[in-house]
Amino acid sequence: MPLIRRTPDGVQPDRPDAGEALATLTHGTRQKRWAAARALSDAPDAAEALGRALSSEDDPHVREAILTSLLRLRSAASIQAILPHLRSDNASLRTGALDALRAMPDVAGPHLPELLRDADPDVRLLACDLARSLRVADATHLLYGLLEVEREANICAAALDVLAEIGGPEALPVLARCAERFHDHPFLAFSIKVVTERLSAQTPRHRG
Amino acid sequence: MLMPSFIRDRREALVAEVARKRVLVVDDASLVRLYYRDALERAGYMVDEALNGLEALEKLLLQPADLLIVDVNMPQMDGFTFLKVLRRQELPLAGTPALVTSTECGPQDILAARRAGANFYLVKPLTQDILVEYAALLCGAAA
Repeated sequence: MPLIRRTPDGVQPDRPDAGEALATLTHGTRQKRWAAARALSDAPDAAEALGRALSSEDDPHVREAILTSLLRLRSAASIQAILPHLRSDNASLRTGALDALRAMPDVAGPHLPELLRDADPDVRLLACDLARSLRVADATHLLYGLLEVEREANICAAALDVLAEIGGPEALPVLARCAERFHDHPFLAFSIKVVTERLSAQTPRHRG
Repeated sequence: MLMPSFIRDRREALVAEVARKRVLVVDDASLVRLYYRDALERAGYMVDEALNGLEALEKLLLQPADLLIVDVNMPQMDGFTFLKVLRRQELPLAGTPALVTSTECGPQDILAARRAGANFYLVKPLTQDILVEYAALLCGAAA
């Protein structure tokens, strides 16, 4: 049985056409904005407008509908529309954007290197979480590279959390160097010890 | 080296005081959950874990907690949304003390946490001593 998503107010409004949807996406009632966001899920040219609407949208249901439509478009344009929201001060929007990127690893994956090098430490931290979902072959090596140079303990901790799942024994020298740099951080020392023990116990057969 | 008796007695008293206190750690990072669990269990708490706000709500509806330790950036439901939903529930569930721990350290983050219903906000990374100290404080146990 298909899942029928209800509107915020429980009423299924008429589906507007793309032109009407673009007009009401930021100016209609809550219900109309929600319907507009849903209607634009098959309008490839609407990605930019959906991204702009995310910036001003306060209603979490409408925001969810916008992100779902961007997810369904699954294009380079939808990635470009979502990426700026990783910098949002709004935790709900920030994590919603990250969830959407996680859900389309094929198009979000190529952006991982630039996100891990971003000047904003909060973006680098979220990028580590993105690496967890992408599980691309390069993700582990990008995280090893990050651990060699990253100065923020919290970002190293986020990378370690991912490497505990997807890393391999080749990470051990990187972990040892990271432990030396952060010897005065109890949480990092604890984390490196745990990850080192896990990865040391791995054999090639154990890796997925 | 033997531990002086007054320190041992004090530690045993504290462990006895928090022995029945249940802490729910809500964080998507497995190493953070492990680090908090290690500290809290050694201090005598019972510890349960949830990976995001949604899972935390499900767990709390089945079994209440004496303290919540909540991250902010989590998949599916972030920490602030979780606290807002929790505070709209009926008492005593709505009144569960919540310690928010986050990498976000701007004044707007602390204000957002307070508005969402956090009782206290600590910036990561934490030492285990600080975590246990604030857990005792928010649980009403002597620190």
